[in-house]
Amino acid sequence: MTKYVKYVDVTKCDGCRACMVACKNWNDLPAEPTEFLGSVQSHVKTTADTWNVLQYIEHENGKGDLEYLFRHSSCFHCTDAACEKVCPENAISYTKYGSVVIDQDKCVGCGYCVQNCPFEVISLKEYKDKNGKEYRKAHKCTMCTDRIDEGLQPACVTTCHTGAMEFGNREVMIQKAEKRVKEIQGRYPNAMVYNPEGVGGTHTVYVLAEKPSVYGLPENPKVPTSAVAWKDYAQPIGKMMLGATTMALVGAFVTNKLFNKEGKGLDENGGGSDE
Amino acid sequence: MKMEVEAMSKQQHKHDVQVKRFSKAFVWAHAINAISFFALYITALPMYTEFFDWLYPVLGGPANARLLHRIFAVAFVSPTIIYLIFDFKGFMNWMKELVTWKKRDLQFFTEFVKELFGFKFKHVRQTFFNAGEKINSIIQILTAMLIIGSGFPMWFPQFFPRAVVQWGYFFHNVGFGLAIAVVVGHIYLSVIHKHSRPGYSGVVTGKVPAWWAKSHYPDWYDEEVKKGNFPKLDDPKHKKGA
Repeated sequence: MTKYVKYVDVTKCDGCRACMVACKNWNDLPAEPTEFLGSVQSHVKTTADTWNVLQYIEHENGKGDLEYLFRHSSCFHCTDAACEKVCPENAISYTKYGSVVIDQDKCVGCGYCVQNCPFEVISLKEYKDKNGKEYRKAHKCTMCTDRIDEGLQPACVTTCHTGAMEFGNREVMIQKAEKRVKEIQGRYPNAMVYNPEGVGGTHTVYVLAEKPSVYGLPENPKVPTSAVAWKDYAQPIGKMMLGATTMALVGAFVTNKLFNKEGKGLDENGGGSDE
Repeated sequence: MKMEVEAMSKQQHKHDVQVKRFSKAFVWAHAINAISFFALYITALPMYTEFFDWLYPVLGGPANARLLHRIFAVAFVSPTIIYLIFDFKGFMNWMKELVTWKKRDLQFFTEFVKELFGFKFKHVRQTFFNAGEKINSIIQILTAMLIIGSGFPMWFPQFFPRAVVQWGYFFHNVGFGLAIAVVVGHIYLSVIHKHSRPGYSGVVTGKVPAWWAKSHYPDWYDEEVKKGNFPKLDDPKHKKGA
């Protein structure tokens, strides 16, 4: 199956926020009243009800000039997704397109994915059932997998009027990103393709005008070592250990019955001490 | 004939003699530790393996399971405090035993393996706690520290750096994985293994049969006899075949 990538060229973004609106619209996400943050930016970061946020960054470049940088931020849809690794309910999975989605029926709201996402894009939404009982579900961008299923493109891509976002075949999109970086390096010497290796590459690939850290992104994101140690080693070894001790005890019980039939001990002569 | 009957009733009487092994504080601390450990294990089991997802409805849903887990987490922290406050002397004796290792402790293990599988064995003289109980204590203390220490950042992630929370999941997993493997052995030995069964009633009532205490923990028993706390049990019958 072809893997698809959402290509985001931040240098073509004009900060109109239509992508945010289109996302809320398609995914039926409620508005979230927010405090004034000191800039045009509406939300600090993605939340359970706001799956993409447009960043507005005032950055002083090396020449002492002020750059006004924009970035459409949402889930990266990692090839090696830490959220998928740590989910205890197998509620998070990869789709055939390469997007990473959360099965809302399986999610128990534990928040392991929230704590382990290298990009911190997942949040828990609090719900109340009809009896007033609270429960939580993890939410994030789905890359509009339901739209892709129907032959459409993600809502944010479709609505982008500057051509800052495109959606297509992974290889084609990456080539496009690399070509674009060469074009803009004169204007942005630090420009780069952001498709981090530490998570096996991502399915949202950026052309960034500045270093990742300028956008508050990790320079070298990766699946946390703790998550690998936990899920690939501690958990299976722990299960094996419990199995091994239980088997040893079953063995002990059986050999006791076989070799110690007469039941020497307590009742007859005052305990195992006398043997 | 008459003598035999007398001897038997005497032996019967000896069997009835109970001696105090554990303080009330120890009994309570041990019980709370055991109950909360299992409650914690069960309330988190569906998070450990999907095979137990059917426990969610039993526990009133994932949110309720998390709440119960936190209630028992608080209970799990209390035994150490109870033991420390209400039986400081006993606590210190326990600590002292845990750091005292001699040749007899190593000999204990070779004999213990024979005993475990039902072969002939001889008792190696032990003090208040035998070497196996000491190993169990040490592992339970270390794993409890891992579990409790990692539990805080998992419960209150907002107060800890992200990396600490992430490593918290790992150490929580390692802690209870190791603890349950040892607990299974600990319970088998007390409840099922016949030679040590009086230890089980002992940890509930605080009292054990004197003959059993003397045969399993002779150094401790003799010391208490010297202090005048325990009766002397030198009925030759007891040394039969020894």
